[in-house]
This record gives sequence, structure tokens and C-alpha cells, in this order.
Amino acid sequence: YAQTVNEPVINSTLTGIVVDSKSQTPLIGALVRIKGTTNQVLSDNKGKFFFKTGQKLPYVLEAVYIGYKKQEIEATSSPLTISLVENESQLNEVVVVGYGTQRKSDLTGAVASVNKGLLSQPAASFDNLLQGSVPGINVTQSSGAPGATATIRVRGGNSISFGNAPLYVIDGFIIYNNNDNVNTGASNGVGVNALSTINPSDIESIEILKDASATAIYGSRGANGVVVITTKRGKRGRDEISYSTYVGQQQVRKKLNLLTASQWASLINDVNSSTGSAKTYSDAAIAALGAGTDWQSAALRKGPIQNHELSVSGGDDKSRYLISGNYFNQDGIVVNTGFKRYSGRINYERNIGDKLKVSTNIFGSQSVENKLFGNNYNSINFQSTAFANLLQVSPVVPVYNADGSYYTASPYSSIPTNPIQDFKSTINRTYIRRILGNASAEYKILKDLTLKVTGGTDLINTKQNYYSPSYAGSPGGSSTGYSSQGFAAVGSIAASTWINENTLTWDHAFSNKHFLNVLAGYTTQHQEDQSAVASAQKFPNDLTTFNNLNYAGTAVLSTSDAHESSLNSYLARASYSYNHKYNVTISLRSDGSSKLGKNNRWGYFPSLGLSWNAGRESFFRPASQVVNDLKLRASAGRTGNSEVPPYSSLAALSPSNYYFNGTLVTGIAPTQIANPDLKWETTTQYNVGLDAGFWNNRLTFTFDAYYKKTSDLLLNVPFPLYSGYASVLENVGSVENKGIELSISSDNIKGSDFTWKTTAVFAANRNKILSLGQGTDYYYPLAPTGYVSPVIVKVGLPVGSFWGYNTAGLLTAADVAKGVPYLTGVSQQEGDTKYVDTNGDGAITTADKHYLGSAQPKFTFGLSNTLAYKGFDLSFFFQGSYGNKIFNFLQQKLEIPTLSLNASATLLDRYSAGNPNGKVAKATNAPVAQVTDRYVEDGSYVKLKTLSLGYAVPRDVIRQLHISQLRVYVTAQNIWTWTSYTGLDPEVNFFDSDNTKQGIDYGAYPSTKGFLAGLNLTF
Amino acid sequence: CNKLEEDPNSIVTASQFYKTQSDAVSAVSAIYSTLNTDAAGDFVIYGRNLNLLTGNGSDDQIFSPSNTNTDVRALGTATYVPANDRIKKNWQQHYFGISRANVAIDNIPGIDFDTTTRARLVREAKFIRGLLYFNIVRLWGDAPLVLHDPTSTNVDAQKMKRSPKDSIYAQIISDLNDATLLPKAYTGADVGRATSGAAHAILAKVYLTRREWSKAATELQTVINGGYGYALFDNFLDAFQQASKNGKEHIFSVQFGTNLGAKNSTNSLSVCNFGSFNPAVYPGDQPADSSLYQLFASFDTRRDVTFFTQLYNSATGKYVQFGAARFAKFIDYAISPLTNQNISGINFPVIRYADVLLMQAEVLNELNGPTAGAYAAINQVRARAKISNLTAGLSQADFRDSVFLERRKEFIQEGNRWFDLSRRGGTYLYDALKKYPLKTGAAVKDTLYPIPQSEIDINNQLTQNPGW
Repeated sequence: YAQTVNEPVINSTLTGIVVDSKSQTPLIGALVRIKGTTNQVLSDNKGKFFFKTGQKLPYVLEAVYIGYKKQEIEATSSPLTISLVENESQLNEVVVVGYGTQRKSDLTGAVASVNKGLLSQPAASFDNLLQGSVPGINVTQSSGAPGATATIRVRGGNSISFGNAPLYVIDGFIIYNNNDNVNTGASNGVGVNALSTINPSDIESIEILKDASATAIYGSRGANGVVVITTKRGKRGRDEISYSTYVGQQQVRKKLNLLTASQWASLINDVNSSTGSAKTYSDAAIAALGAGTDWQSAALRKGPIQNHELSVSGGDDKSRYLISGNYFNQDGIVVNTGFKRYSGRINYERNIGDKLKVSTNIFGSQSVENKLFGNNYNSINFQSTAFANLLQVSPVVPVYNADGSYYTASPYSSIPTNPIQDFKSTINRTYIRRILGNASAEYKILKDLTLKVTGGTDLINTKQNYYSPSYAGSPGGSSTGYSSQGFAAVGSIAASTWINENTLTWDHAFSNKHFLNVLAGYTTQHQEDQSAVASAQKFPNDLTTFNNLNYAGTAVLSTSDAHESSLNSYLARASYSYNHKYNVTISLRSDGSSKLGKNNRWGYFPSLGLSWNAGRESFFRPASQVVNDLKLRASAGRTGNSEVPPYSSLAALSPSNYYFNGTLVTGIAPTQIANPDLKWETTTQYNVGLDAGFWNNRLTFTFDAYYKKTSDLLLNVPFPLYSGYASVLENVGSVENKGIELSISSDNIKGSDFTWKTTAVFAANRNKILSLGQGTDYYYPLAPTGYVSPVIVKVGLPVGSFWGYNTAGLLTAADVAKGVPYLTGVSQQEGDTKYVDTNGDGAITTADKHYLGSAQPKFTFGLSNTLAYKGFDLSFFFQGSYGNKIFNFLQQKLEIPTLSLNASATLLDRYSAGNPNGKVAKATNAPVAQVTDRYVEDGSYVKLKTLSLGYAVPRDVIRQLHISQLRVYVTAQNIWTWTSYTGLDPEVNFFDSDNTKQGIDYGAYPSTKGFLAGLNLTF
Repeated sequence: CNKLEEDPNSIVTASQFYKTQSDAVSAVSAIYSTLNTDAAGDFVIYGRNLNLLTGNGSDDQIFSPSNTNTDVRALGTATYVPANDRIKKNWQQHYFGISRANVAIDNIPGIDFDTTTRARLVREAKFIRGLLYFNIVRLWGDAPLVLHDPTSTNVDAQKMKRSPKDSIYAQIISDLNDATLLPKAYTGADVGRATSGAAHAILAKVYLTRREWSKAATELQTVINGGYGYALFDNFLDAFQQASKNGKEHIFSVQFGTNLGAKNSTNSLSVCNFGSFNPAVYPGDQPADSSLYQLFASFDTRRDVTFFTQLYNSATGKYVQFGAARFAKFIDYAISPLTNQNISGINFPVIRYADVLLMQAEVLNELNGPTAGAYAAINQVRARAKISNLTAGLSQADFRDSVFLERRKEFIQEGNRWFDLSRRGGTYLYDALKKYPLKTGAAVKDTLYPIPQSEIDINNQLTQNPGW
């Protein structure tokens, strides 16, 4: 029996080449397999492959190549060209980076794109949309007021005293948002948000640059992260007319529980009996008072909101254009407040010949904000909001007289005014007119060498009008409109920035393996602002309000101010990629700023970034069916911060006043010691990251870990007071931030009719003060007079730490008998707050105060889901924060019983003889406002920010109407919040951007929830 | 390419200034302004802040129910600690004024203008520097003696030790002696500036505090007989009202103005005397208890100027009853409606002629016992208050007690009481405080205020006062 050798039957041979569909360049190492067999080959170094097989032609081939779509092709004859289309996976997208774009695969830095679904949500201002959108960006609204400011931090705060907001780059134009440019000082109350002048529906995409490799190209202004905004442009090939709109209504999300009239009357009786005084109200009188006035409801209303947007866009092979107009109008939920914006945009670009391209982006807007006034408090720079004061108006006082006129005879007000009348009659209006425009020309000197010259300007003109009528209790000069007999103020500020940028870019590929992009440039920027405020009082009538100060009897000294600053920069960057596998980016920027000391004006900010697309390695191929992308990144670099006001390094003299025999004289004396060495804050940042895609990017995953150390802090250093100066501006101390960030995107279900996508982001940042300079361990930021500072700046603690006493309930009779330590300086009795002797020295002194937590969250997260079935889409977005503390300043105030102000309903559970187990200190006429753990509350929350249901009308239905797209939707905003915070809203920040006073709630404008319906229509 | 040199046009910088007479005048006005304004909007030295130490810290006051600031309450209950914010603020404000005086004294002599005016301006600066150091040395004892402006932001270069009390007094006496060459009086828009009479009067108080009785007597003699024309107002109320400000009794006053609008000063002391017609609202400063009010005979005209128990509300045309007595001395009745006391235009009398007379009585008693001259001086003050002459034939010790009692009644809220208690020495201060149940913790350490803790924290060369 002879062995026979089975010769393979050769029925066909096939040669072929695998190429990139766009460039037609060969793809090396692509896997080609005969479908349904194990017969597979790799393309060689010229992209060629060869099959010798028993299969007969035709048969089906599968071609797989990392970064490209898997393709099946029927092979009928030889030779065969397989043209692969690049996968539109995240690794191959082009993203906008500083001064250019980059293939995502070649990125070395941490760059996150904001989910487009979130960007299309209705909002007054785009910064409202960033919270929870990408990991590492934390946005806190200062209040629920329309057009309110927000505090934005990328990867924690680097600086203690100055400039923690990110840099904005809008269509290449660099903006450091300075809300001082829209607040003249003529108005009062909370600040106006300069970013609300930008129309959010103009925005096509937002990228957040987070690490040094990405931001160092912005040098001295990159330390706080960079938000790169690209606006919409026309599409080549067709003209489109689009109209979109939404209308809806907002209402208050939560009201505070306060005492009713009869409950308040009982409290007054208790206060009186604590001093042995007679009861003010008899039992019958208490019963007759009933609920009394609910002042919150009297000031609240339902606020309609509407937005209309019309745009025309299009393009041909040489040009693209977009013209759009927007109208947004939101009435506040508090009477006489609201925000309105008109805006327009023209984006245009055109190729002139083969080498020259010109483009321009011009945006203009006018916005009007009616603000709630704020009451001057203790003449320090601290204004409590009118709403917080309203909460404290006694419930026994009626709003109206029987005849419908306002009741102004409250015995608890020193002047005959009415708070609701004050709300309605006080004019507190801000107009902002902004033009943001730039134009650029790109010239291809050689095929791959481009010169780009850009010029741009940002003009912001703000006018503020204020009038407190002669019958109003709103602020008027140093007292009220009533006391001033009518008080009017008008203020204006004109701020302008111009920029010139010149860059040269060389983008070259060597033998299709070595990709090099080199950028060099010079930019210069100039900013100036000029402002003036005029005010007057003692008006014979309230007819002309702020419009004609000539009617006034007394002028108030007018003020004016002006600042100028300049920044000159040189920048360079080289990005090299070997076969999109190994990537390196080096950048260097040098900035010269006029605001710094003359010895240290120039700073140098280098960075290095490396990345490795491990998923493209041949050894990784066996796993590529599961893990289709895998990229590792690492970067290090230095960025800076110089956001000090102009003239900070000079020996400045300030005016002050005195009176000789009733005549005003002006004194001039030094208030700032020159510091010619004033220099940049420097942030050194290290970042490692991992990007991965699974199952052909059904699941994508990005992880980053970073460490940042900011040194040479621009710090107002405490100076010996006997020098005559309380502090000097020095470069001392350091702060670190470290954290991790994670984002996951998943196509949970990807059917032909039904899809479900989920995106989750998570970030944790730890902030710590490492040093405050030699000999300084801590200092307290300024608190309003009469209040103890609830915050401390202390080495070893995060910026924004709360500092106060621990309490252990109330003093019991046993405690008093035992002689537990009392708060020094206060006569304490049974039923008063029991302070804890933390250091065990037998007395409660300031030495017993300690760290009560920080306003900085332990982690933040966002979760968005989109489900689509045929034409229907449903999306919902959760966002949350965990571990941040809030100092509930308002609650502290509301728990201090007085004989004239209303108080919190928590006082119903106050200690008294009849309620010995009460949780709240007994009513007394001599309460002490101390910072205690009772008022430092957990600010953790989860919010269902938006829930939206949409329907795209099928094309065959709308085609007859010449409509190409029609989508209708309904959205619910902020309808569900989980939090244990007892105040109005855990998203609150009374002191706004002041980094040392984050998370303080002193009675903000209440937050809203609302329902909207809208449609998008395209012809 | 932009220039990076800053050329500010909205602020004045040092290199542009101290070149003309007008610059010199402004530099001196800035010193005065530290007496009636605080850069951060806080209470000012002579508009409540000093009074928190000399009134609240004395037996005149404890605290008001409206004092939610524990630092204020602690001062009223002798339980304050070196971290007390009000003590720190006083320290800061005094040295702030001294700093501005130092700048003027260093820079004005180099400016070329009329030598008479130039010399006068430097002497005014020295007067205020002397006055402020006098407060400092009495409140804290040894203290840093700063005579020049810092030249760099380097903290280490600014650290210094406390100078002994005597060397500070030497500087005070030297500054005030220079200031005695100031004009005797001013006219027009210069009224309110420091005069030679003011320098002599303060100098008398310096010697009195140091128990250099004969030197004090010489200075007092100059004030009384030097042709200044000082005299008591017939009506005690006139010493504290707008219409009579800078009158014959006022030797040196801190000036406040009410122009309703244009750069009002803020008189916190007035607000702390009267805030509202609502009796349930307590003002910031309150008498310790009824015993202070009861010190006065009902016919003593000072009683109803110093206190009120009821007040006429012109808006309702009715009297409002307030129950227990409250302070009234700094209520500006010229303001209508009577509810906006923060724009009060009442001056704060740093030293007035009644003080000179009572010092005269004290000094003469210390030198030669209760002489006729001593009686004449104290009785002038008593006569104006419409009370009878002091009992004749008192012993030296009894006469001394009578003078101190008269001083207490005359100068409530005028920044004198704590200084008077402490300068008597021994246990006098804390014995007086201990009479109040809430001040029983008062001890020998309270005869000087503690150096602010924050100052010691950043400067290890500063020592703390004994007992703290």
C-alpha cells in the first residue's frame, strides 16, 4: 500500500493590491482573506498580495486594515485592486488644535470634544452646556438668573489669587473672558456674563485642550486649559435655508421652607421671653395670623423663553458662506428680570486661484439683561441679593393694602417701602453690544508651505442703567432710593482687543511614512478698556429715571477708569508621525506681557508630547477583532498665567478724601509697592493617556491621568501691617492638582431601526496648596464686616477650604452642670449650640477651628443616552458632582432669630422648655453667628439636566413641501435633582470667580426647571 | 509689534508725583483721610474702631445684641485673643496713617515751593504721626517704630523688632514739639487742620500719661492762656452737632462731611448710635447696663445728650419709646429723615477744651493737691453741665477720683475711658472691668492689648505682650 501525496488542486491564482481610497497609496500589511476559509495573506511592502487556491473564481474576499473599514469584494479576475476607505473612527478624525488641525491618530495631547448632542440643547449661554460634557471641566453657575455668570475650571484651579478661567479661542480669535468688561459699577447685584453675548446655536464644535502638549502653544495663557470653539459654516454643493426655534416656560425649581406668620409670632414671643420681656403676641393673636405672606411666591412667576434662528448657508467649489440671525428671549422667574439677545453672523471663505484663500468670521450681538438688584452690605464689596433679603421679610407684613396698593407701613422696616414694589420699580439694566470679527488670508508659497495672516478685533460696549425710585428700598447711593429721594446711575465701558497673528506652516510627508508638520509664528495683541459712571440723586419726581441726570438735585462724584495692556509672542511647533504609529509633538512659545515687572516680562513655555498607536503594530493584529484601536499618550510641559490687572507691578498712588471745613479735598498716597520682578505663574503638567476602541469602535474609551504643579503663584502675600501695606503682589507659593479622567462611549444597540448610544464621563481632581511662601502657613480671605470668614487658604488644604467649629448638638442641663467649655466671649446656656473643644484645652477658642471640607468636588460625572427608533429620538442627560461642600451662609442667617426678620422653618424644632429634644438652638436675642459644621453642607448632587424627545418627519412626507429636513422635539430641563443640600440649589457660587471663596451660598437667584418645544426646519 | 512698557494714564505712579506744591498738599490730605476713611470700607479709627477698644474694652460698654461679630463681643467681655480681628484692624489703621505721614515727611522737603507752606505741611504730618503713635504706645506698649516707607516687596527686609515704649514716646514728643510751630488757627477751607494748640494739648496728654506733671502743666498753660480763644460751648450738645463743628471748644477734630452724594464719609459711630425707629432693632453700641446712665443726675445736661430713651420720629410725628437708654452723642439730628446716620456729618472730637480743663484739674492736683485752680478747672466743666460745684475740701485722692469720674461722664464714646483706666496703673483697669459679671475674666494682661497674631505669624522678630 503505497502512500500517495495529495497535490493541492489549484483552480485559480489571484494577484492584487490594497490601496487607500483617497490617496491611492499602497497599504502595507493589510489582511486579505477568502471569505469562509482560513486562507489569508498579508499585503507586502508595496501593498501587493497573491493567492494560489483551489477555489474557483469568482469568490468573495475580505480585506481588513487597522483604521480602515472592513471591506468585502467579489474577485472575478486578476489583478484586483482593493481600495479601502478610512474608518471614520475617532483615531482618524481631524480635530482642531491650537493654530491648526491635526489627525486625531497623531495627537499627543489630551484633547476632548464636546458631544454634539449636548451642544444642540437650548441654553442662554454656551458655558451652561459644558458642565458634564467632557471629563475634567467643571462648570458652576453662580445662580439661576438669566445671563448669570459661571465659574469654569479645567482640571482644578491652578492659581489662588488670579485668573483660573480657561482661555477661549473662537474661530482662531483668542479671548480671555473678563466679566469686568461688562460690569461698569453703575448697576448692582450679581455680575453679568460676557460669554452670554455669544450665540450658542452658532457653534459647530467645541474642543477642550487640557494637557501641556495641547495648550503650551498658548504659552502664558494656556495653564487653565483652552476651549476651542468653531462656528458653523456652509457646505459645498448646495444652498440651504434653515429655521429653528423653541419656545417654553420655566418655573422655580424649589422654594425654601420659612416660618408662617403664626409660627413667626411664636418665635418672637420666645425671643422676648429669653430676655424676660413680655410676650408680643397673645395666643389668640397668633392663631389669627395664619399663614401670612409668602414673600417668595409674591416675587416669583412663570418665565417664558423663546429662541428663533434663521440661517442661509452653502458653497461651491471655490467658496463657502453662512449668514445667520438669532433672537433669544428669556423672562426670569423673578419679576422684572430677564435676558434678551439679538445676534447675527457672517462666515465666508473663498479660494482665489490655486494658492490664496481668504476667509472672514464676523459676529455681532446685542444683549439686554434685567438684573435683580443687590443690597450693599456693610459698605464692603459684598452685595447680598435682593432675593435673599426678601426671604427675611416678616410674614406678618402684607404685600398689598385692601385697595390693591402696596403696603408700606411695615413696622420692621426703618423706611416706608415694600419689597415687591422695589423689585418691580427698580431699573437695573445692562446692554452689551459686541462685535467679534476676524479675517485671514492663507497663501500657499509652496505646495506644502502655507503662510497665514490673521487680523481680528473684539469690541464690547456695555451700558448700564440704574434707577431706584424715591419710594423704593433698593440701593441708592450710600443708602436707598427712598433716602436719596431717587437715585440714578449710568455707566458705560468700552473694551476692545485686537490681534494680529502670522504663522508659517510646513506640512510634508516623506515617502508616505514620515509625516512632518512644522509651525512657526509671531502674534501680537493689544487690549484696552475705558469706563465712566455718572450718578445723581434727589429727583423732584420719578418720571425721567436714569435718562436725564439734569433733573437731579445732587450730583454724586463721577468716576472713570482706563487700562491698556499688550502681549507679544513667538511660537513654534513641530509634529512628527512615523506612519501614524509613533508620534511626537514639540512646542515652544515665548510671551512678553506688559502687565508684568520690567525685569521679567518674557516667559518661555515648552512642551513635549509622545504617542504610540499600539493598535497598528503587527503583533497586535490578532486582537484587532476585539480591540481595533489602542493608543498610548504621554506629555510634559510648562504653561503660564499672567492674569493680573494692568499696572500691578508699578508703584501706584491712590486717591482718598477728606473734608476741611466741609470742603472736599483729595489726598494722594502710595497704595502699591513697585515689584519690577513680577513674573508669570508657571504650571508644569505631566499627562499620560490611553485611547482604545473595541469591536470596531462600538465601544471607545479614553483615560487620562495628570499631575500639575503651579509655582511662582501670583499671590497677594500678607505683609507686616506696620509697613502701611496689608499685602504685596509677589510670586511665591505653589499649588498642585492631580487627577484622573475617563470617558466611555458605547453604541449599545446598533440596529437598522433602533440605536442606543451612551456616553459617560468621569473626573476626579485633587487640589492642594503646597506652599504660601516662607513664613506663611495660612491666611483668611476677607469676610464682610461682622461675619467671620468661613474660608481659609492654608498649606496642605485645597483652595476653597471651609474653616470653623465642630458642634455636638445643643448644651444640655447636664453639660451646664458639668461645666463643659463655652465659646469664649459668649454667655452660653442650656439649649445653645454646643461647640466641640477640638484641641482639648478646656476652652472653645479660635484654636478649636479646623478644616470642615472643601468646595472642590471629589469627582464629577456626566451620563448621556440617546435612543433612536425610526424617526424618533429620545435623549437624557444626567450630570452630577460628589463630595463638594457648600457653606450655607443663608441658612445660618435664617436660623438667627431676630425681632424683625423671618427665619427658617427649621426653627420650629428649636430647643425650648416644651421641646427639650429640639435640634436647633433656642431662641435668643443675642445669637452668635459662627462658622460651624452645621452650615457646611454636603453639596453632592445628581441632576437630570435634560430629557428630550424628537421626531424627524419622513422625507417622503415633506418632499412635496420642498423641505429637506424637519424635526420637532420637546425637552424638559432640570426636572429631577437628587441632593441632600438644604439650600435652593447645590449649583451655587455667591462669590463667583473668586477662587478662595468658592461654594458659598448667600441666597442666590433661584434655579429653574422648564419645558420647551421646538422644531428644526431645513429647505 | 506692541510696546511692552506700561504708560498708565488712569493711575498716578510714584515717579510722576512729589514734584509740586499741590502734590505736597495732596500727600498731607491723604494722611488726614486715614482718620475718617478705611480703604476696605471698614469702620474707621475715629468713627467707631478705636472706640471698640476704648469703649467696648472699658467699663462703659459690653456688647449689643446686634453684635454678631464675635470679635466685637469678645472685646466687650474681656475674652479677646491675639487673633481678634478688631484689634488687628486698629493696629493696621494706625500704621496705615503713620505710613502716609512717613511718605509725606520724607518727600515734601525735596519739593521746591514756598518754604512756609512746606514747613507747615511737614508739621501737620508730624502731628498726625505723633497722635497715632501715642494711641499705639498706649494700646500696645512697645511697638515697631516705622519712620520710612518700604522700598521693596521683600517681606524679610520689612521685619523688625518692637522698640521700647520710651523711644516711641521720644519720637512722639519730638514730632509734637515740631507741630507746636503750626499756625494757631486757619481760615476758610483750611479750618480743621492741625494747629499749634492741638499739638500743645496732645503733648499735655502725653506728659500726663507719663506722669510728667510739670511738663504737662506747661503745655496746658499754653493752651489755656496762649491766646487761642478756646472755651466751652454753653450747650453740651453743640460739641457734637454739625452746625457748631470746629467751634471754640474743638481743639482737634476728625472731620466728617454730609454733602448727600458727592463722596460722603461714612460715620459708623453715628450708625451705631441710631439705626432704626424700630425699638426691636438694637444699635451696634450699647451702654454696659443701666448703671452708666444712672451715673448722671437727671438735671445733668450731659445725660440726655449722651443717651436717649425716646426719640421723635418726624415722619410719623410721634415719639418712639425705646425702653433702656441707648447712646445718643453721635446722632446727627441735622439729617432728615433721621434714618441715614452713615452719612452723618458729625466730627469726632479727638481733643476738646473740656479735656484740657479736666487735665488741668488733674495735673494741678497731682502737683500741689486740690488747689483753687484745680477746683476752678473742674467746676468750669461741671457748670456747663448745669451741675453743682465739686464738694470743697476733698483730699488729693478723693479729688483725683472726682476728676476721673468727671472725665468718664464727659467723654463717653470719645475714645478716652480705657486710656484713663489704664494710665492710672496697678489693678485699676481690671478692677473696674470685673464689676461686670461678663468681664470677670479681666486680668493684668488686659492693661495692654495683644500684638495681632497675624503680625507675629509672619514676623518672628515680634514678641507678644505679657500674659498673652
